[in-house]
Amino acid sequence: MKITIGLEIHEQIATNTKLFCNCSTSYREVKPNSNICEICTGMPGAKPMPPNRKAIDAAIEIALMFNCEIIQEPVYIQRKHYSYPDLPSGYQRTSLPIAKNGNLLGIGIWEVHFEEDPGKYDPVTGRVDYNRSGVPLVEIVTAPQLHSPEEARNFLRELTKVLQYTGKTREEGGTMRVDTNISLEGGARVEIKNINSVRGAYKALLFEITRQKNLMTHGRSVKRETRAFIESQMITRAMRVKEEAEDYRYIPDPDLPPVVITNEKIEYIKNILPEAPHLKEKRFIAEYKIKADDAKIIASELELANAFEKVAMVIPAQQAASWIRDEVRRILEYNGISFKNSEIEPDYIIELLNMMNSGKITVRTAKKVMELLPELRKSPRIIVEENSWVKISDENYVEAACEDALKENPGAVKDYLSGKREALNFIVGRVMSKTRGRADPARVLEILRKKVEGVIK
Amino acid sequence: MGTLDEKLHSLRAGEISAEQNIQNFLDKIENEKYNAILYVNSEALEEARNVDRKIKQGRAGKLSGLAIAVKSNINVKGLKTSCASKTLENYSATYDATVIERIRREDGIVIGMANMDEFACGSSGETSYFGPILNPAARGRIPGGSSSGSAASIAGGLSDLAIGSDTGGSIRNPASHCGIIGIKPTYGLVPRQGLIDLAMSFDQIGTLGRDVYSTALLLEVIAGYSKREAVSRKVENSDYTSKLTPDLEGYKIGYVTEFEELTDRRINSEIKKSLEKLEMQGAELVEVNLPNLNKALPTYYLTTFVEFFSATRKYDGRRYGYKIEDVCGEEILRRIHIGSYISQKEYSGKYYRKALQFRSLITRELLEALRDIDLIAGPTTPKLPHRLGDKISPLDMYSYDVLTVQANLAGIPAGVTRAGEVGNIPVGIQLQAKPLEEQKIFNVMLALEASS
Repeated sequence: MKITIGLEIHEQIATNTKLFCNCSTSYREVKPNSNICEICTGMPGAKPMPPNRKAIDAAIEIALMFNCEIIQEPVYIQRKHYSYPDLPSGYQRTSLPIAKNGNLLGIGIWEVHFEEDPGKYDPVTGRVDYNRSGVPLVEIVTAPQLHSPEEARNFLRELTKVLQYTGKTREEGGTMRVDTNISLEGGARVEIKNINSVRGAYKALLFEITRQKNLMTHGRSVKRETRAFIESQMITRAMRVKEEAEDYRYIPDPDLPPVVITNEKIEYIKNILPEAPHLKEKRFIAEYKIKADDAKIIASELELANAFEKVAMVIPAQQAASWIRDEVRRILEYNGISFKNSEIEPDYIIELLNMMNSGKITVRTAKKVMELLPELRKSPRIIVEENSWVKISDENYVEAACEDALKENPGAVKDYLSGKREALNFIVGRVMSKTRGRADPARVLEILRKKVEGVIK
Repeated sequence: MGTLDEKLHSLRAGEISAEQNIQNFLDKIENEKYNAILYVNSEALEEARNVDRKIKQGRAGKLSGLAIAVKSNINVKGLKTSCASKTLENYSATYDATVIERIRREDGIVIGMANMDEFACGSSGETSYFGPILNPAARGRIPGGSSSGSAASIAGGLSDLAIGSDTGGSIRNPASHCGIIGIKPTYGLVPRQGLIDLAMSFDQIGTLGRDVYSTALLLEVIAGYSKREAVSRKVENSDYTSKLTPDLEGYKIGYVTEFEELTDRRINSEIKKSLEKLEMQGAELVEVNLPNLNKALPTYYLTTFVEFFSATRKYDGRRYGYKIEDVCGEEILRRIHIGSYISQKEYSGKYYRKALQFRSLITRELLEALRDIDLIAGPTTPKLPHRLGDKISPLDMYSYDVLTVQANLAGIPAGVTRAGEVGNIPVGIQLQAKPLEEQKIFNVMLALEASS
């Protein structure tokens, strides 16, 4: 059965000030109603200030990342009327499309526009916090060209990556809102609102397909309607007819002249545009001859990809790629941070790998230093020196440690001699811990083998 | 009563104090019978004493303690900015409108909040929730509207100057009926930040006064670019008073035949006398035509209804105590309902967008008519003010605006000054000029003032 899915994605644009006033956009970390003024609370007589140019530029940049055509006729900002406690003026300001006809992963992007976020209403206390009111949003509308929840999920993941690449949307995450429409062959189009994450979109679509298929198998028709996603239960429910039949009575906002995007502006932004992640991934495979899996992971974050390119200028590309994919990612995931926020310098990675490659430190030490980088923010050379982690090249010292380890673990020696070759690895581990990881494990193995086999002889 | 020019000299010379000036008006307001002032600024005397100190130190601003009445739809922090509606009867402004900041900066003193037609929707001064305003210049007649209290406070001597707002004639109409001076400036010349909306694409704050000099002075204080709003015009600060001249040599003044056809002949004859005076001051009179004038009123009202509907959505009962539809007067309700009706998805193309198209047409025609002349002069209203209490139909009420709305549709400046009177009822002449040519309007007003 053919499934057709379209998406509307809202994401907050990262600006210091709101879209139509000079209030700060920080609304999570401050007291309710502390970043507000007469404009963003819609007091009687308040008018919007000229729209925040940085927010509009960000929307243009995002649209260009999707290869959109930028609209060069005047773009009107409209009033969308509806009544809700979080909407102080009884209407939301939302622009007409600033861009059209783009694409991402072969899926058409119909249009991109900007609008203002409403405040936050708590139905339990009845209170409204207007700190968020007026924060700029970008909305991206896709063509109905997705055909499964999985495809929608992949698309949203890629889109999130692209938005992160621009650095123009809020970093802290959790601000994405998605509306989706879905129709099954032979059924009407159903819209689902109130989705707040990629996973939510996936779950909502899965539920909706099951629901619609069930209706159809029982010979019932799928109504054209708007449904809300209930995240706590992972289901969708029909919205009230009134909510759905609402006429927004759009008018161009008389307080705002239309926005005109000049050719110079478009050219300027094109010049500073980052390479899109899926293109970067392809280039890495072709240019650096690294594994496809590695390229995908490295390209998932712009700063990480940039770091890779810097490291690969000095270090063999595949080694750099493997190290970033395994070690760097491991540390980022462990700390739950992005590469950007880890403040790990690409130069530090180069220094570390150079020390490892030249045998100055062991692989194990290198991994340990890697773990400390986000916390210490010091050069690996200094970390190694301060901790006296330079590889022990004193043969006598290493041999003495081997000798001790053999004496302390006669059982393991016996096992080895009786044919369990992996038993020796256990003793290598003991030696490494005696030397605090500074001995070369290959050399330790060699010494141990010689000593144990020497016993037989 | 001397001119305000002389009063300003006396204030600056210390011959009278700002405190005396304010006290004098407060006494008059306490006993006023026009219902012109709704709320008095309780800080006015304190503010006046501060101005007196500044005068002594020789650093007082241009307005040096003059008393300004403010229409109740312009936010003055701490004062009730009620729009003369029950909807906002408990709303105390939380901030100063930009014009109020500018008046304070030049040491003008807000004496109180003037009564008005509810939410500025009216041309008679009868729709205020707080009762009708009386016309100090024509007993028993309406004062006009909607800046009725602002005009009455000037005509009745309750303040030195007043500010009002004009969406389709709301400054000029009461100025004409009350026999005073009023000007609606070019759209975007005076910041609207803090002016409560009627129809945002027409609304403009302007000034009312007894003489040309002071009316121009107050406009000079409040006019000029503000970065705090999107439609503000990027213009240099104006200096009307220093450039005032009654010499009209070289002025070409147009009179519109279509205006004459719509207007009471008694009014036309007063306008004619003024035109003759202007000719004597050196102006050349030329006839101009505005064939699309008949489209102006429906275009204006359709647009206004939709914008007003949008503007009133915030009065949903959640924050200001009342839902507007539950407590407003019938004219407000009529406008909201029509606005809601014609802005529906299925009609918006038919009405609102059509109105926007006609608006461009009328604007082009008016600017074209003004291209080779300096001003258009003519009547302000087509008829004399009706008797207070006479019931007239909504359409008759709207038709008061037929001569004033084009200036708002086109965003051009238009001023009114006294032309004469018909049986003790003042008649004002309306002067319309090209965008940002307020100076010419003031000069022509001055020529009429000098020859009266």
